[in-house]
Amino acid sequence: MIERGTSEVLMSGNEAFARGALEAGIGFCASYPGTPSTEITTTLMSLAKIHGVYVEWSTNEKVALEACAGASWGGIAAICPMKSLGLNVASDFLLNLNLSGSGPGGLVIIVCDDPRGHSSSNEQDSRFYSKASYLPQFEPSTCQQAKDVVPVALDISREYQIPVIVRSTTRLSHSRGIVKLEKVPKRKHSAAKDIPDDLYNVPSPHLRHRMLLDKLGDIAIEFSSSPLNSTTKTAGADTLIIATGVAHRYALEAASLFDSMSLEVANLVTSNPLPGTLLKEWLRGKKSVLFVEEVDPFVEEQVLTLCAKDDLSAIQFFGKHDGTVPSHGELNTDIVVDAVARSVGLDVELLGDTTPKTIEKAKALLVPRPPTFCTGCTHRNVYWAIRKIKQRLKDKLVVAGDIGCYSLGVFYEHAMDTMQSMGSGIGTACGLGQLHRFGFESKVIAVAGDSTFYHACIPALINAKHKGADVTFIVMDNATTAMTGFQPHPGSSIQEDGMVQMSLDRIVDAIEPDFFARGNAADIPDAIDLIWDAVQKDGLKALVFDSICRLEEQRLGVAYEDQAKVTVDIDNCWGEKCKICVAQFSCPALEWNEKTDHPVILEHECIRCGACIAVCPHDALKEE
Amino acid sequence: MVDRPLNILIAGVGGQGSLLAGDVLATAAVSHGYRPVVGQTFGAPRRGGSVLTHLRFSDIDLGPLIPYGKVDVLIGLELMESLRAAISHCGLKTRAVVSPIRVHTAATLSGEEKYPEEGAVLDSLASICGEVYDLDRLSELDKALASRSLNMYLVGFAAGLAEEQLPSKKVRKAISDIVSPPEPSLESFDNGLAALKTTRSYRSEI
Repeated sequence: MIERGTSEVLMSGNEAFARGALEAGIGFCASYPGTPSTEITTTLMSLAKIHGVYVEWSTNEKVALEACAGASWGGIAAICPMKSLGLNVASDFLLNLNLSGSGPGGLVIIVCDDPRGHSSSNEQDSRFYSKASYLPQFEPSTCQQAKDVVPVALDISREYQIPVIVRSTTRLSHSRGIVKLEKVPKRKHSAAKDIPDDLYNVPSPHLRHRMLLDKLGDIAIEFSSSPLNSTTKTAGADTLIIATGVAHRYALEAASLFDSMSLEVANLVTSNPLPGTLLKEWLRGKKSVLFVEEVDPFVEEQVLTLCAKDDLSAIQFFGKHDGTVPSHGELNTDIVVDAVARSVGLDVELLGDTTPKTIEKAKALLVPRPPTFCTGCTHRNVYWAIRKIKQRLKDKLVVAGDIGCYSLGVFYEHAMDTMQSMGSGIGTACGLGQLHRFGFESKVIAVAGDSTFYHACIPALINAKHKGADVTFIVMDNATTAMTGFQPHPGSSIQEDGMVQMSLDRIVDAIEPDFFARGNAADIPDAIDLIWDAVQKDGLKALVFDSICRLEEQRLGVAYEDQAKVTVDIDNCWGEKCKICVAQFSCPALEWNEKTDHPVILEHECIRCGACIAVCPHDALKEE
Repeated sequence: MVDRPLNILIAGVGGQGSLLAGDVLATAAVSHGYRPVVGQTFGAPRRGGSVLTHLRFSDIDLGPLIPYGKVDVLIGLELMESLRAAISHCGLKTRAVVSPIRVHTAATLSGEEKYPEEGAVLDSLASICGEVYDLDRLSELDKALASRSLNMYLVGFAAGLAEEQLPSKKVRKAISDIVSPPEPSLESFDNGLAALKTTRSYRSEI
């Protein structure tokens, strides 16, 4: 955070959410890391002791939400930050908790969507959960609002004793802006004497549903006068742009680029339930309306329904339903400018000055840059071993995978074949591993990381054992949640005070796989032998590889200077006709020198792990 | 009231220090009275992927992404990434400072794809941007590379380009305040700023 004067600070959207939580008096936070939501919890964690807040990384988002509900039932205000896909995991509980109620403490869920899927396996709009669960929802558009909505959301949650959802997107969570701070009040959190009665929905969930809908009706009225919603109140404007979240800032900037007084821009922060009275006020006297929101036409469809009901059909509506705004991908100012120009027919000075031909010529020069394993990452070694096994099996090998740094296996000569949700590698392998009875000839490997193992693999692993699936399950255990920035999990070697380290081996062993071994991911020949040995056997084989995250290692201060340098023995190197080290192994520390026809070790990049030594079939890579 | 916003785009590859470069410039902008908005990508794309940092210095909260053609200064930490950023965001008003450093992709390493020739990239950049400064591989630049502060060398050069809207003194001060240890970064910054005086903008041969 960058200070500006005493009370104005430059902070990210996620830091602002955390600050808002502290100002609101949150006492409990449970969460599972996931981009772009992670920093909300890490920020709270760094301030937890000072403010007497309990913060934990739970094993998954469902557990996190359940823990937060427990806290709220017990009278402690709770916040549960997660990414879009996390809410999918937690949704089973959410769609029960909404009816049971969250009790007196108050519970705010922050869900961070990732339009375009910059760091996600899908593109989804999580706002449909607010509809599905009949829960109030806020969509802040600036870092300032990100901070400001949290206390408001908590108040609503306490008043109506239901969870409240705050939706963010990557461009809010990960952008920085100036935030004016309020004081964090000194609070001593004390639990209620008891939890509320009737924290279950049976025998009449439908009546609970009715009660919740009644609450939602009251909240819609409250939202119609919420100071969070605003418009530019442009006098005489006949076109209204209704925008939510960060898209509101694109709409504002787009409107400013048109030299026109006909555009009014509205920021709808309370997007569920729709504040009908306010919307009708905004729509009065308008000839056309354009909706600008990230991913789905969430507000758009609700407003269209509202207008059909109240015969506002004289207004011409533009948005995703008619293709004015794209229904997939991430928005930006240019897209909004284009949408305004096409729908309302306003002229605008062209933003770019280059001709399409220049751009086409420039684009032809570009080479795509997919993310890669870091230098020395032991995941590369394990996938190298898997590639070797795949060759031996003449491609009769399916590798089912899921979510983590090891997902990059899909970009590594397709060493990983599938990737959906947390734990879905071993889950889909439960099906694939039964197909031999139908003539499926491929061997099946499922891969997982250690944090993913604790998150979602255990039920599927039990299923695989119970049903006798023919699967080799590989855990690449680097003892941290690497992809999201090294958050500890139950198996991490370094644990906070009061938390115990769990043994992944003992958990796997308790499931009694037909074969179980621990391997060393730093030793490629050993890894190849071990995996080859396992895939030959029948039944459930479990392999846990001791793996190393080099970023974590460097973060903890490991230096590589005292390790032996790796050098190229030019006499042994076969040059272009081999080139396995550079062309196939693809470590960023190895480059090909066209002139000498040999590889070069990039000293500033190499961490001297020596993995490439075993990859060279001609003994041309050596320790110095 | 700020006359017009200052838009700076930093293009590079994960691990090249674009986030820190963005923090330095944003800190300087705060000290100069702006309301900066910084748009960043991090998470999965940082594992060796393309990284863009959008810096928008104004007196209101602008959107976190610079509109097409509105980049004032492009800081290109990596050659091909500079062109990728120019295609998506730059125009005639853009002044680009471009590092000669190339970071290969898996496909260019294997020979499956060819990393574009430096001359072709610079010609292409010059056809999009108003001015392009390709940094010579001076010993000072190599020194910055060795001390892992190439980012600050380019920030120094860019601070010179943006002097009117953001005094380079304030950028230098921001480095002393937030980079630890500041010394190698300050030296690279000074060398980058000095290089502006001796670097002429790129003229295409074609």
